[in-house]
Amino acid sequence: MSTAGTVLRVGSISADFQSEKPLHPAAAAFLEDAFARGWADPTKIHQASRKTALLLNEAKELFASHLGIRADQVEFLSDPALGFHLGVSGLMKGESHFFYSAVDRSELFTLAELHNGQRLAVSLNGETSYPIGRSEDVLVWQAANGETGILAAAPLEFAGRVFVDATASGPLVPLPPSWSTALWNSRAWQGPAGLGIFAVAHRSDWRNPLPHIDHRVSSFDFSIPLAITSAIALDNYVRDYKEQQMKLVDLNAKVRNFLLTQIGDVDIAGSLDSTLPHLLSFSLLYVDAALLVNEMDARGIAIDSGSACNSANMEPSHVLAAMGLLTHGNVRMNLHLDASEESVDHFLHILREIVAGIRS
Amino acid sequence: MELDCLGMRCPLPIIKLAQRLKNYPEVVLLSDDPATLPDLTAWSRMTGNTFEILGANTYLVKKLGEEVL
Repeated sequence: MSTAGTVLRVGSISADFQSEKPLHPAAAAFLEDAFARGWADPTKIHQASRKTALLLNEAKELFASHLGIRADQVEFLSDPALGFHLGVSGLMKGESHFFYSAVDRSELFTLAELHNGQRLAVSLNGETSYPIGRSEDVLVWQAANGETGILAAAPLEFAGRVFVDATASGPLVPLPPSWSTALWNSRAWQGPAGLGIFAVAHRSDWRNPLPHIDHRVSSFDFSIPLAITSAIALDNYVRDYKEQQMKLVDLNAKVRNFLLTQIGDVDIAGSLDSTLPHLLSFSLLYVDAALLVNEMDARGIAIDSGSACNSANMEPSHVLAAMGLLTHGNVRMNLHLDASEESVDHFLHILREIVAGIRS
Repeated sequence: MELDCLGMRCPLPIIKLAQRLKNYPEVVLLSDDPATLPDLTAWSRMTGNTFEILGANTYLVKKLGEEVL
């Protein structure tokens, strides 16, 4: 039986601020049950199959209610990244122009090459200016940025079709009224990895861009037990987030204030009221991020960084560069739902000490 | 004043630049690190200094703002 994974602790203090989170405990507790009851083929008529079908339908109802779509629109993808292609390419027609933002995920940059896309510039506060477009055009709307947490204004003026990238925001940002296709990643709500949720608003707008033999949106195999587990995670995550939201806002404000008053020479992405409160990205001038991540890790604190020295290809974060934010000395902080004031105080105390050492 | 940071990775070019600007009002920075252009842009905004691109991997940086480092 799986448990909720290991959280780094210093004494009794959780010191894990990296982006990955363990499976939600409620989902972890249900995992064995999901595999015991959800193994059959839901399209057959045996008792076991009917049980599996029932569970899968209940899961779809949960996804539908939390993500703001109909249960019959819920599609599962065993590779969430495939949803970018389904969502964008499925809306493109011969004359369509494709618009995407400079802070979109890199998967969309590869689609932009395919569709001769137009990259939209981003301001220092992370706002993308959307075009008006024509009815056949396609726009990516990233509900919230996964690195900075910056929330996007809904593209209400856009005349074309909108692909919603909700892979970072999960259930926290409602779909805009004009959405055409949308993609979520189960990991956003502490669900199991390897599961994407994909939806098409109007089937008449969308053509399957992949080789296909029937009318289904997705004919790929996916794990029904993991889909059920993910629905349990989502249901619990939404409730937990509501309970913890004010705490997260307070903690985020505390970190921002400390950075500006106690550490200084810091470039913080977005303002507190324009970001998801559990995400925070800041860059420390004259600080080597690889050194900082290592020294924090040696003190038992896990953080991420978008600086070049921390990336596989040695390129700085395209999100920071597009916004004009400092790319070196970057820290991505993820305030998990169980983060406490004590753990954040501990983080800030150690950060100040290490940054002072690196800068001297 | 020319400062050769070719081959150096971030944040070294910006740190060396800031140190050099203590004694010189203008520095020609040579850097081929992919983070240098975005970081010069952000650094200029944060410190009140300014720069222009002279050519490939070559930047003219002028001290206008605060003392750095």
